[in-house]
Amino acid sequence: MDPSSSGIQEPFDLIRLSLSERVFVKLRGDRQLTGILHAYDGHMNLILSDVEETIMIVEVDDENATAGPKTVNVAKRKMDMLFVRGDGVILVSPPSRT
Amino acid sequence: MEDDNSPPPPPEQQPPPPPSHTGSPTDFLKGVVGKRVIVRLTSGVDYRGILSCLDGYMNIALEQTEEHVNGVVTNRYGDAFIRGNNVLYISADEPL
Repeated sequence: MDPSSSGIQEPFDLIRLSLSERVFVKLRGDRQLTGILHAYDGHMNLILSDVEETIMIVEVDDENATAGPKTVNVAKRKMDMLFVRGDGVILVSPPSRT
Repeated sequence: MEDDNSPPPPPEQQPPPPPSHTGSPTDFLKGVVGKRVIVRLTSGVDYRGILSCLDGYMNIALEQTEEHVNGVVTNRYGDAFIRGNNVLYISADEPL
């Protein structure tokens, strides 16, 4: 019962196949990263280079507090090299392979 | 008083047949590999896609993944690795 598409045996294979590729990383705290994956380990600690971090800052209007978040500010910053501690990682997506 | 007016036995409104998959959680997980699943994270975000594989930490590899927040598709990923500690449940999205 091999998965039809590719020879992925375990989830970490997805990460291994993404080494040296640009990956998308979703982090806790409404943060996202894109960067080139250089290394990872079993904790999902990551080493990324040429990183852009996107931080979603939700400002709830006082008057509309019950109507849900209305204002979303996006902050971005770039970093040359980054170590990401694994426990902050929610999702990693490799570049789309077709 | 004779109880000949007792309520009729319940009609053949039988419960649905028992699920064909009985067994351990591991058996369930083996059964859904390669199938469409819904993975809900503790944050409430849902990921719908085809379950490629998973491991003992419940790290998950999904294909053709859609990210749903409050029922709205917010992102799509060809492949996605989900770190297991974030997983609340894995639900089968098609008959097993």
